[in-house]
Amino acid sequence: MSEYLLEMSGICKSFTGVKALDNVNFKVRPGKVMCLAGENGCGKSTLVKIISGVYTKDEGEVLFEGKKISKITPAEATKLGIQVIYQDLSIFPNLTVMENLAINSEITAGRALVNRKRWEATAKEALSKIGYNIDLYAKMGELSVADKQLVAICRALLFNAKLIIMDEPTTALTKREVDALFKTVRQLRDSGIAIMFISHKTEEIFEISDDVCIMRNGKNVYSGLTSDLTPQQFTFHMTGRELTADHFIPKNISKDPVLKVEHLTLKNKFEDINFELRKGEILGVTGLLGSGRTELALSLFGLEHPKEGKIILNGKEVHIGSPIQAQNLKIGYVPEDRLTEGLCLNQPIADNITLSSLKRLCKAFGLLKKQDLIDDGNIWKEKFSIATDDVRKFASTLSGGNQQKIVLSKWLSNDLDVLILNGPTVGVDVGAKQDIHALVHELANEGLAVIIISDDLSEVVVNCSRVIVMRDGKIVGELEENDITEEVILEIIR
Amino acid sequence: MNTNRVKRIIGRAEFWIFIALVVMCIAIQAISGGQLFEPSTVVTILRSMVVDGMFAMVCLIVMVSGGFDLSFPAIAALAYSLSCTICLNMGWCQTNPLAGFIIAVVIGAILGMLNGWIISNFKLDTMIVTLGTQTFFLGVSMGLLQLKEITSQLPLGFRTFGESYLFEVTNSAGLRSTMTTMFIPFVLLCLIVSFVLNRTMFGRALYAIGGNEVSAERAGYNVKRIKFILYTVVGAISGFIGMIRVCMARQSIPKALIGKEMTIIPAVILGGASIFGGEGSVFGTVCAVAIITVVSNSMLLIGIDSYWQDFFNGLVILIGIMISAIQTMRRNK
Repeated sequence: MSEYLLEMSGICKSFTGVKALDNVNFKVRPGKVMCLAGENGCGKSTLVKIISGVYTKDEGEVLFEGKKISKITPAEATKLGIQVIYQDLSIFPNLTVMENLAINSEITAGRALVNRKRWEATAKEALSKIGYNIDLYAKMGELSVADKQLVAICRALLFNAKLIIMDEPTTALTKREVDALFKTVRQLRDSGIAIMFISHKTEEIFEISDDVCIMRNGKNVYSGLTSDLTPQQFTFHMTGRELTADHFIPKNISKDPVLKVEHLTLKNKFEDINFELRKGEILGVTGLLGSGRTELALSLFGLEHPKEGKIILNGKEVHIGSPIQAQNLKIGYVPEDRLTEGLCLNQPIADNITLSSLKRLCKAFGLLKKQDLIDDGNIWKEKFSIATDDVRKFASTLSGGNQQKIVLSKWLSNDLDVLILNGPTVGVDVGAKQDIHALVHELANEGLAVIIISDDLSEVVVNCSRVIVMRDGKIVGELEENDITEEVILEIIR
Repeated sequence: MNTNRVKRIIGRAEFWIFIALVVMCIAIQAISGGQLFEPSTVVTILRSMVVDGMFAMVCLIVMVSGGFDLSFPAIAALAYSLSCTICLNMGWCQTNPLAGFIIAVVIGAILGMLNGWIISNFKLDTMIVTLGTQTFFLGVSMGLLQLKEITSQLPLGFRTFGESYLFEVTNSAGLRSTMTTMFIPFVLLCLIVSFVLNRTMFGRALYAIGGNEVSAERAGYNVKRIKFILYTVVGAISGFIGMIRVCMARQSIPKALIGKEMTIIPAVILGGASIFGGEGSVFGTVCAVAIITVVSNSMLLIGIDSYWQDFFNGLVILIGIMISAIQTMRRNK
C-alpha cells in the first residue's frame, strides 16, 4: 500500500494545440488537506476535470491507492471514491434538501420509482456523516450558501468518498461561514478522507492545508508541505513576481469634503450614519455580512431610499432617487457580483467599457460611431493593462481579474467625483488584485474620492486612509491612517 | 415541524390557486342566484375542461423540465386530421374508434420525436424550436397533404364515442345534460402525469433538469435521452388529445387548434408552474384550468356579452401571474 492516495505524474493535456497542462506531478495523502493553488487560468480546473474523468489526459500516469488507472470516466471516479464539489455546488434549488441529498445515489442505483421512505433514510444517513442538522423538507434554494455547501458535502460523503475535491468553496462565504466550513473540513480530514482544496486565497491556504501544490501556466511550480513556505514565497510561486503590499498614502486630500452623510437611516438596515469623504481619500467601510455596509452603498447610488438623514454633495443637499441621478451627480458604483450585475459577458469589451458613457460619446442626433467606442476601449485597455489583443472580443473571453478591470473602467470612463467599490477583488487572484489596488491608488491621487466596501481586512488595511467599521447597522468605530490594522478592526467588528 | 408544514403549504402557489377557485365559485354562485352549482352547469363546466385540461397536462410536464412547447396544438391538429382522413378513406372506425386513436398517437409520437431530436441534439432553445416546428406542421397539414375539413362524413365510430356519456342530470328547469365519457381519459391522464412527476425517477429528472440542467447531468441523468423521450411522449399524448377533441366536436378541422397554446401556457403558469422550469403540479394546473373554464362559462350565466370573455380570461391570468410573481419576489427577499 502506497503512502499516497492519489499520485499523478507527467500529466499533459492540450486543447486544440494549446497546452493547458504541461508535465504536472502531484500527490495526495489520505487524511490530509491538500491545497491546489494558482491564479485564474493556470490549469487548476483542467486538472480537476482529469481527476474526475470529465476530460481524458493526453499523457501521464495516475495511481490511485497504488494501483495504476489507465482511463477514468466520471462513473469510475465515483466508484473509486472521488467526489467533486463544484463551485456552483451542483444543487437543485427547486427541490427539497432531502431530494438533493438522495437523488444522486438513487440515479446511480438505477431506480425507476421514488420511495419517499428510502429517500428520507438516505438523506438522514448523509446528514449524520458530519452530524449536521437541517429541515429535510426545506427548499434548497432558500438556504444560505453555507448551508447549501454543507448539503453538497453530505451528498458527496454518501458515496464512501476517499477523496473530496472542493473547487473554490469559500468564494461566496463570509468569514464566519468559512470558519464553520473549515471545522467540517478538519473533521473529514481526521476521519481519514483526503481533501483537495482549490483556492487562491493565501490566508486560507495557510490556515487549512497540510500540503500545497502551486500551479502556474499549466505547470506545477511547487509541491510540498505548506509549512515549508512563507506567504511571500507562496505569492511568488503563484504569480511569478515579487509582490509587496503597497500601502496607500494619500497625496492630495482636498480641504472640503466632497461627500457628507448626516444621520442617514434606512429602517432595519442601518441608522444614524455620519461620515465625510474628501477628494483624494480612500475610505474603507467594513463589517460583517448584514452589518448594513452594502445597503449604505446602495443608498448612495439611489438603489435604496433612506427616509431620514441628509446626503450632501459638494456642499449641496441632494436626493438620490435612482442610479441615473447618482450618475448625473458623478457618483459611480461597482457592484459585488461583477458577472451578474456589472457585465454583459456576450458583448465586446469595448462596448462594455463605454456602456455608461455613451452619452459622452454621442454625436449629433444621438448617433454613435463604432470607432469611437473602440478608441475609448483601447485607452482603458492600455491604462489597466487588460489582457486582450482586441477590444472587439467578447468580455467572456477574459479571466475574472480582467473582467473586473472592465467593470472598473466602465465607471471610470465617466468623469466621477465619488467612486464606490463593493468588494472590488472578490474572486480575483493575487496578481490581478494587486493591479486593481494600484489603479485605485492612482485614481485617488488624481483627485477621486473612493469608498471601498469590503470584508477582506487585508484589503482594507492596505488601501484605506480611513476606515469606518459597522455592526448591526451602526458605525461602531472610525480609524485613522496609523491605527488601521487587522487586529484593531477585528476587535471592533466582534 | 407542524408549523413548518403549514408554512410550506401556505407558501405554495397551488394553495392560493385553490383558495381563489373556491372564493370565485362562491362569488359567482351568489351573483348568478345559485345557478353555478346546478348539476347541469357543473356537468357542462367539467365537460369543457376536458380538452384544455389535457393539453394543460402536456404543457405542464414540458414546463417542469424548463422548456416551452408551442407546437403541441399543431401536433394534435396534424395527427387527428391525418388520422381522420385515413380512416375516412379506408372506411375504418365505423363502430370502434380505436384504430383512429392509434394512428393519431403514432403520428403524434413521430412529430414529437422530431421536436425531441432537434432539442436534444442541437441544444437549442425549446421555444424557438417548437415555434418553428409548429409552423412546419401546419404547413405539412395545409400545404403538403392538403388535408380537408371532415364534418358530416366523420366516421361513425368517433361520433358515437363522442356522444357517449357516463350519466345524465336534470336541472330544476327540466334541462338535461350529460356527463361525457371523455372525462375518464382526462382524469386518467391527470393521475398518470401526477404519478410520473412525483413517484418516478423520470418525473424527478424533469424537475431536476428544470431546476439545474448542468447539475442533473453531473448527478448522472442522461439529459439528452430524457428530453428526447419527453418530447416524443408529449407528441403522442397530443395526438391522443386531438382525437378526443374530434370525437367531442364531431368534426375534424385542420386549423381548429391554431393559437391554442397561447391560452394553455398562461393557464399552466397561473397554476403555479414557473417559466424558468422546475416548479408546477397537477393539482395547481387543474385548479387553474377550472378557474378559467368557470369564468368563461359564468359569463353566460351572469349574462355578460361573450365579447367580454377574452377580456376577463386575460385579466384572470394576468392577476394570477402577478400574484405568483409577487410571491417569488417576497421569498427571494
